[in-house]
Amino acid sequence: MPEQVAEQFEDLEKQAHAARLGMWVFLGSEVLFFSGLFALYTGYRTEHPYGFGVGVEHNTIAWGSVNTGVLLVSSYTVAMAVHMLRRGRNTASALLLGATIFLGLVFLGIKTGEYLKHFSDGIYPGGWGHFFEEHGDPGTKMFFTLYYCMTGLHAIHVFAGMCVLSLLLWKVLRRDIGAWAPHPLAIGAVYWHLVDMIWIFLWPLFYLIPGASQS
Amino acid sequence: MSARAEPEAAAQHAEEGPSPRALTYTLIALLVLAGLSLALRFAHLGGFSFLAALLIAVIKASLVAVVFMEFLHEKPTVRFAFATGLSLFALLVVLLVADVLTRTIPPLSNPPGTAQRYHG
Repeated sequence: MPEQVAEQFEDLEKQAHAARLGMWVFLGSEVLFFSGLFALYTGYRTEHPYGFGVGVEHNTIAWGSVNTGVLLVSSYTVAMAVHMLRRGRNTASALLLGATIFLGLVFLGIKTGEYLKHFSDGIYPGGWGHFFEEHGDPGTKMFFTLYYCMTGLHAIHVFAGMCVLSLLLWKVLRRDIGAWAPHPLAIGAVYWHLVDMIWIFLWPLFYLIPGASQS
Repeated sequence: MSARAEPEAAAQHAEEGPSPRALTYTLIALLVLAGLSLALRFAHLGGFSFLAALLIAVIKASLVAVVFMEFLHEKPTVRFAFATGLSLFALLVVLLVADVLTRTIPPLSNPPGTAQRYHG
């Protein structure tokens, strides 16, 4: 059943614009939500460059890099899904959405493997664990606490994005949305892109930028 | 009113958005930039590694925003809403870093009978 224009809107275009505005205001608030954590990271890294360097050195670059590729490709597939839906190709759009959700699962699987590896190494949030008996610098404890907070919050957003995309996949398959009203999928895709965008910054901060111990 | 009965609106939507070629080129550019970030990790740039990695991240995020999220095609009200969030984020980080870098007050001395305080 095609989407109806709500009574408070004159036409579908105005309804779509209101929905897009709402999503972008939400994304702005999401940026502010993460901004406190990014600011904390910047401040503590400035004060503890050595401790943060130890943390970066301990993280596995390969896993972080693979996850970066996974999220970048997933952004492409969801953008293509929107493109296909705008042209009325619901089946192709559904397949691309399925691929995006699968890539989200791959990302979360790798992230879970990383967390399990950290736990086995004795690295827990808050600076707990035997790893910190050898690496007692307060900066290293702060690095891994921020690592769990920021990547954990990001993982929750990935999961939420997968739920949103699953719902949209259902609507695309039922043809509740299509070329006549593609904006629900376009809005959901924008949320997924923000999740990708946040990881674009998390990757260098936690995996790539060496600290004072290495530079 | 059924939205399906609006052929003009459907045609307009069909014309919106970047082409598959533009999307593919953007993905390739993003992957190349990610590879560049990875290569710079081993280049031992010293203090510049932080700046270089963040600069590449900003370029990648801009590509995602402009091409994938179609940010520039949004109406000014939408752009303003998101730009407000970004501006406040930038303000917070800049002021915080300025504060940390320009602190000149020495740490408080240890109270008598207490263990040595860590000063970072």
